Amino acid sequence: MSTETTENPTEPAERGLLDRLRSSQFLSELFSNRIALTGIVIIATMVLVALYARVFLDVGVLADSRLGGTIPDRAPPGWVGPAPADTYLFGTDAAARDIFKRTLYGAWIAMKFGTIAVGVSTVAGIALGTVAAYYSDLTDNVIMRTMDVLLAFPSLLLALALVSIFGAGLWKATAALILVYTPRFARVVRGAALKVLEDEYIEATEALGATDPRVLVRHVVPNSLAPITVQSTLNFGLAIIDIAALSFLGFGAQAGMPSWGKMLANGVSNGLLTGKWWMSVFPGLFLAITVLGFNLLGDGMRDALDPRMRETVD
Amino acid sequence: MVSKRFILKRLLLLVPVLLGVATFVFVILHLSGGDPARVILGQRASDARVLELRQNLGLNDPLYVQYGRFLLDAAQLDFGQSYKVAQGQSVRSVLASRLPITIELALYGQVIGLLIGLPLGVISAVKQDSIVDHLGRVGALSGISIPIYWSGPMLILLFSTFLGIFPASGRIDSTMFLADHWTLFGTELPLTGMVTVDTLLLGRLEAWFSAVRHMFLPAATIGIYSLALISRMMRSSMLEVVRQDYMRTARAKGQGSKITIMKHGFRNALIPVVTVIGIQFGTLLGGAVLTETVFSINGIGTTIVAAINATDYPLVQGAVLTFALLFTLVNLGVDITYSYLDPRIQQ
Repeated sequence: MSTETTENPTEPAERGLLDRLRSSQFLSELFSNRIALTGIVIIATMVLVALYARVFLDVGVLADSRLGGTIPDRAPPGWVGPAPADTYLFGTDAAARDIFKRTLYGAWIAMKFGTIAVGVSTVAGIALGTVAAYYSDLTDNVIMRTMDVLLAFPSLLLALALVSIFGAGLWKATAALILVYTPRFARVVRGAALKVLEDEYIEATEALGATDPRVLVRHVVPNSLAPITVQSTLNFGLAIIDIAALSFLGFGAQAGMPSWGKMLANGVSNGLLTGKWWMSVFPGLFLAITVLGFNLLGDGMRDALDPRMRETVD
Repeated sequence: MVSKRFILKRLLLLVPVLLGVATFVFVILHLSGGDPARVILGQRASDARVLELRQNLGLNDPLYVQYGRFLLDAAQLDFGQSYKVAQGQSVRSVLASRLPITIELALYGQVIGLLIGLPLGVISAVKQDSIVDHLGRVGALSGISIPIYWSGPMLILLFSTFLGIFPASGRIDSTMFLADHWTLFGTELPLTGMVTVDTLLLGRLEAWFSAVRHMFLPAATIGIYSLALISRMMRSSMLEVVRQDYMRTARAKGQGSKITIMKHGFRNALIPVVTVIGIQFGTLLGGAVLTETVFSINGIGTTIVAAINATDYPLVQGAVLTFALLFTLVNLGVDITYSYLDPRIQQ
């Protein structure tokens, strides 16, 4: 490939995954991969929607009940108010609020708390995983056995158990999910770090007198990053689903908040059996499309990192 | 063969994990801050009565005494009495009556997932990069991107609200009542708690028909997610296997058609899928919690949600511990199956 800039053309097949991530070859493969590209386009669109909603929509206005005004509750999609500018593209909910604007704002809530949940647990997982791999024996055992206990719970159940201590709310639900995800990341990173530690250059670095933190931060962490990158991307979709699930069950976003999970719960209890479909169709559709974007990107990344899966068998 | 030593070793390894799980759940109760006696008696009870109840419940004992007692009780699956949700009943009896409901739901979902997901994955792999494969992949990817608490309501809207084919909630027509035991050759036997089984044991076909109709949408909700996950895993596992040397040998020996090749690889391709089914069981239990909420089914999932809302700590503890135990045992079963399929694991 012409974009290849490495000096040695006959390098070993076992090239570090990170090299592949870093090299422009990985990025160009990612962008020529239609699956990944579709994912990137979806995610970018949703990020723009989220930013638009954050800047131009007032969450206080979106959260307050509009009952008793001129706008009817449960108005169908496309309902136009007295002023022609008052068009309700997705209709209104049981409190006469604009479902379209609320759905847009839901993108901001999903992206914000999804990023926090995945970001914090990824960093925590990297820290715990590399430390466990580097200091074997006692430290490794204490860290990994604790992770095993957390992994022994089905994830939503663990989140629910934690929420029963923390209490309800978006921040608390996110904190619970961070504790749920960290063990998974720690396990993946530890596995990758153990492989890196077998490499001779680690021994060489140590022989040169590098301190433990230096070896970990400069050498072990960067070289164990590739598997966690794919894992984080795939987990992003999961985090958005889980946060909305906790909101759906009543333990995340509180009354009035325009989160997708909460809107779905409202739609289910106020409009499902009476055929007011728009109350649950639109927030769910946005949620599913966003998650699909992350899953497409994750799949594409995996394909790009593992080219073997692309060749056909004859 | 799976050696007894391997199974014994795996069982012993479970002990510290389960001890950790129980400790974690104990800590949850004590971190949650609420006073159980206050929860039971209500805000208006006099301080003297609260104090008396605390004494009776053993809440004034030192923490390590309470911890020891909790572990001993938990080992016998005794989680005390429910404070609120099922006041006066033991947590064990509440769980025993609701667990079969959740398991029944999860099983039907899993069966749908396997029956459709496995063939779909194989077809996708056999016809790699064909239109069928592309449609299957996009479908499966969409399937895992759609949360259960959206696919459930959408199925209700379509099949219940608009078409009126299937009921939207409950487990059986509300006019039908089932006896609490059945008789076989004159002996009275307890029922399973799974309504599609019990109606058959009682020989009530019209009730069975109603139970199956009620089961359809919730099982399909879990099934869609499960089949998407299984077909994805089956496809990639199958593609991995056909690249192995022994498959090339089979081809070189003249096993011409692609179908024969695939048959050859099927058993080997199943191995990683077995693991996924185990891991997925946790997701399935989480899915059951959400599905039960959507369809108003009175299983463990809705019980946990109600217990958290009512700060009914013994019930939360018991239910969470039961789920963790179930999950751990299923994973043990998966490990043993895995080592049966691939004996090298036993090293």
